[in-house]
Amino acid sequence: MERKYTILAVLLIVLALGLVVLQKKKELKETDPKSLLMAIAEKSRFLSADQVTHRIIENDPTLMLIDLRPTDQFKKFTLPGSINIQPDSLLSKGTLELLNQPGKDKVLYGNSDLTAEKAWVLGTRLSISRLYILKGGLNEWYNTIIKPGDVSATASSADLDLVSFRNAARQFFTGAGKTSDATDDSKSYEKVNVLRKAPAAKSGGGC
Amino acid sequence: MIGPIISSGLVSHAWDNIFAVFIGMGFGFALESSGFSSSRKIIGTFFGYDFVVVKVFFTAAIVASMGLLYLSYLGLVDFSQLYIQPTFLTSAIVGGIIMGIGFSMGGFCPGTSLCAAAVGRLDGLVFFGGMFLGVFLFSESFPIFENMYYSGSQGAKMINSAFGISPELFTFFLVLAAVGMFFGAAWVQKKVKKVEY
Amino acid sequence: MKKIKNDGSFYVNPYLGGVMLGTVLLLSFYISGRGLGASGAVKNTVAATVNVIAPQHVEKSAYYCQFAGGDKKPMNNWLVYEVLGVLAGAFISGIVFNRLKLKVEHSPKITSRRRLWFALGGGLVFGFGAQLARGCTSGAALSGMAVLSYGGYITMVAIFGTAFVVAWIFRKNWI
Repeated sequence: MERKYTILAVLLIVLALGLVVLQKKKELKETDPKSLLMAIAEKSRFLSADQVTHRIIENDPTLMLIDLRPTDQFKKFTLPGSINIQPDSLLSKGTLELLNQPGKDKVLYGNSDLTAEKAWVLGTRLSISRLYILKGGLNEWYNTIIKPGDVSATASSADLDLVSFRNAARQFFTGAGKTSDATDDSKSYEKVNVLRKAPAAKSGGGC
Repeated sequence: MIGPIISSGLVSHAWDNIFAVFIGMGFGFALESSGFSSSRKIIGTFFGYDFVVVKVFFTAAIVASMGLLYLSYLGLVDFSQLYIQPTFLTSAIVGGIIMGIGFSMGGFCPGTSLCAAAVGRLDGLVFFGGMFLGVFLFSESFPIFENMYYSGSQGAKMINSAFGISPELFTFFLVLAAVGMFFGAAWVQKKVKKVEY
Repeated sequence: MKKIKNDGSFYVNPYLGGVMLGTVLLLSFYISGRGLGASGAVKNTVAATVNVIAPQHVEKSAYYCQFAGGDKKPMNNWLVYEVLGVLAGAFISGIVFNRLKLKVEHSPKITSRRRLWFALGGGLVFGFGAQLARGCTSGAALSGMAVLSYGGYITMVAIFGTAFVVAWIFRKNWI
């Protein structure tokens, strides 16, 4: 009887020690310069506006949008579900914890690629996996999705599909079906004023 | 799947309540089968003739916290999505003291009284009924206690940060303390006169 | 493990029971992101009852209006479903381990009536304290300990510490 319990007790302590040992590995490691260079050379870090839009509309739970623009711009307009992170707080502990979720695709964007690129290099150096950039930033997203291009007469059927998808997406974001002309622009901006909802699913009280 | 499953959005919220019933069943079964339906067995902890409460309670706490830390290490649980009881220091201490008195008087805590009632212990049923009165009394006199209820707020603070160590290291010390307590309990139980109940 | 009592009932090994309880708690966090609870369901039931009897009172009360009144449904709550499960689970365990029996458990030194009065009083005090501390032994202490909540540990120490000291006053009721 006594012996059985001693074995169990030792097992417990070993398991607890395991936690303490493993914890060291969990700390962020830096990627070495060579593989960082290779990662920069590769272009797979870019997601197109269409790809991202698709996933927003499908409510993809693995998608995490990170808006790197200043707060006042973020408040005015942002992609639905985005989190606003200021570039200067990128290395703060809270941000790193947020980014260090291996199960999520983190998509960085600013008004253009510039800030997102810098943030991407920093994040990749800190071995954050599944980090992406919205190609062209919010400006290109707006030009592709909200401002529709003209459909040329010779467009292929794949192109037509794309156009109709963008039309549907526009409807999703602005609620307006028609092409918005310049005067209407500010209005449709107002409508899309989607701020990040508080983590709705965080469950409530205990006892 | 990354837990918690419900808030990850992979399973619809409607399932939450169905899971709740099954989790509750497991909870009730675990409590009752370890003997938590008997008030004299529970209260034995304070007189040293039966340490079942200490053994079950601390084993459960270390299994769950080690499990959560391992799952979080493996990336299976998003610790930030878990509900961490916010700390209100004053009300936690005063409320705990009041509960301690109720515990010694009634011989149950809410969960165990429910288990006792389920297997036909009338004292458990009455205890459970008494809780309704207590809750009602508190709600009616809430304005008196409102200040205390909200004072000493420290947010969802974790105990390891109070000591300035990592959660893993804290759990390690917790396990050491629990194992020490288990052997201590066995030693005391041998010394204390048996009580038939 | 073989601890069969003379009435034929049987308790599982407390450490096995603890592992069971811990696993259920872990599952609860893994599935729903929250711990177990018991007193919360009582709170919701009380709030729902008062809401039926005196809805205006609920609107006015700073406490009730947190979880009842308006379009809040206090009875359609995770904890209420969980507590129903607890009843079922304990009942099943009672059948399996041969413990289903109507009785009042008390020390041979006191009467059943005295025991029941103390149970009522204990329940009342416990229910009151559980509201103040935002949870009981399961909701605040056990679940809090699992996620290393500071408040959870404080509440746990307060409950067991006080109970240990106070138990001496009530010793006649138990041994």
